[in-house]
Amino acid sequence: MRAFTKRQPIAILALAACLLALPLWAGDLYKVHLAALIGTYWVLIAGLNLVAGYTGQISVGHVGLLSIGAYAFAILAGRHGWHPMLALGAAGGIGGLFGLVLGLPSLRLPGFYFAMTTLASALIVSEIALAQPNLTGGGVGLPVPGFPSPFGTTAGSYELILGVASLVTWLTWNVARRMWGRALVAIRDSVITAQAVGIPVFRAKLTVFVFSGITAGLAGGLFASLQSYITPDTFVVELGLFFFVCIIIGGRGRILGPFLGTVVLTALPELAAPLAKLGNFFYGLLLLIVVLLVPEGIGPLFEVLLARLRGWRSQSWQVKPDLGRLAAACGAPHAGKPRKEITAAGPLP
Amino acid sequence: MIVLVSGLASGALFAAAALIYNVMFSTSKVLSVATGHTSMLGGVFGAWFMSSLGLPAPVALLGSVAAGAAFGFITDLVAIRRVLSRSDEHLWLLSTLALATMTQQVVSLWWGTEPRPFPRLLPQGYSAGLADQRYWLPVAVALLLAIGLELFYRQTLYGKLFMALSEDAFAARARGVPTGRLRALSYVMAGAMGSLAGFAAGQLTFAYFALGLTLSLNGFIALAAGGLGSNLGALVGGGALGMLNAVATYFIGGEYQNTVAVGLLMVVLLIKPEGLFGTKVARPV
Repeated sequence: MRAFTKRQPIAILALAACLLALPLWAGDLYKVHLAALIGTYWVLIAGLNLVAGYTGQISVGHVGLLSIGAYAFAILAGRHGWHPMLALGAAGGIGGLFGLVLGLPSLRLPGFYFAMTTLASALIVSEIALAQPNLTGGGVGLPVPGFPSPFGTTAGSYELILGVASLVTWLTWNVARRMWGRALVAIRDSVITAQAVGIPVFRAKLTVFVFSGITAGLAGGLFASLQSYITPDTFVVELGLFFFVCIIIGGRGRILGPFLGTVVLTALPELAAPLAKLGNFFYGLLLLIVVLLVPEGIGPLFEVLLARLRGWRSQSWQVKPDLGRLAAACGAPHAGKPRKEITAAGPLP
Repeated sequence: MIVLVSGLASGALFAAAALIYNVMFSTSKVLSVATGHTSMLGGVFGAWFMSSLGLPAPVALLGSVAAGAAFGFITDLVAIRRVLSRSDEHLWLLSTLALATMTQQVVSLWWGTEPRPFPRLLPQGYSAGLADQRYWLPVAVALLLAIGLELFYRQTLYGKLFMALSEDAFAARARGVPTGRLRALSYVMAGAMGSLAGFAAGQLTFAYFALGLTLSLNGFIALAAGGLGSNLGALVGGGALGMLNAVATYFIGGEYQNTVAVGLLMVVLLIKPEGLFGTKVARPV
């Protein structure tokens, strides 16, 4: 992680001002709605990024947690008449709780088992949503109330989502760049090494998974109020794939990359109609291309290009064998050199 | 009784999917998400050849098996070959997932999202009840596949090469075994087998585009319960899962099928993590 340069705080402030004023310059309401949708997805993806991008756990089932958050919000705020803000918090809490329930058994499993378990959990959630019409409205669905007065309009709900999304981004950024983030990357790259240096692997994975459950629940609440009506068909399994593709395309172990991935992938099908028809085929193709050609994601590619544009040479960290020292070490007994010299040269056996 | 028989029939299909997982796993150590899609293609192509083109059943069988084999080859070519050469653990999961999604989407655009009926394969009335061909055909094919695989592994040179590859790929390559070609062969075989199973079970499942993901999931659960790498385990796991699903549907209702299946997976993994007939794998440290 790079340290702050002098220009960076200014850039962040400018970006924040731009985003805050988006309803003023976006023109029509549909674009504001689209931006709010991107923000909602990002709340989930930011949490999932810690699980999938940093820790390397392939969870395709976060759409189940999103669905749980959405139903919790709809039932608490709509049927029981809770204040929407309180219901939103409760949706986050319930999402975290279900993240814990799902993570406790499944995070102990190796890669493919974990992916299949999360996939199955998403299917289970939609099954139960269909099978319990008294609770969730079944296939008919549930109406969802909006937020009260300052956040009631499209622009208002956009500002609220922007606030939640910034908070979540800030939290994940803090997690990612400090000790926890390093531990997560270590788990992704080599579990055995991570264990050897004393990282509590399962606890770290579980904590991050519960955090992503909370963000998924929050995103579910926001998503539900944005859609204003939810049915089990809203939360198809392919949506989980979409979240995942956003992260992989943006680049694992980064925050800006997945964010750009979310923006582009959400906006593209809305702006280019032929892509919307192909839908999942497009996402699958994109995922395949990225995995085959640039497995690090597009984000690092941009960084390299940017560095080239600024005229930085790419640095090579190739380790060259120190032949002279090697020869000295190997030839030492024959040449009868004093042993002290070798040990002074470095930790060669 | 009809519950148990239909459960056994769908269990046979899960067992076939688990066998295909085994074939691919033995040569490449990859569990492909697109496994169930081979069976889906078998069903869809069979129905297309017979209903739309009006071909006789044996020709349609050959055609859909060829389509499945081609799909297996494409899986290896597109999703496995380049990814394995990079040897990153997660990437094959992503590439096969992407391929599975694309296949499903293409089939749903071309074939439609509604399940379509699969024509009769053998002349038989609809009043046979339990002896109806849609129940015993999948079971017969699953048994046939398992026995055939066992003979293939024990009796033929290629089968023995597969075994060598699954024991130790590096040692096999050092002895001059063409590992890449064998892997491609195993994927072609897996595609043909899956397509055959899907064709035989077409009357049970109908020609339905979303069958692939269900089969991938259930076949995997059957495999994990029976033990990864064991063909006997695949048969037992598939049969048990199918029966359990049927009984649960009968007593609780059809809405909780996935819940029951994952419950079975969790119970088996908690009690015997390597599966019923699996071998323990030492953890590399």
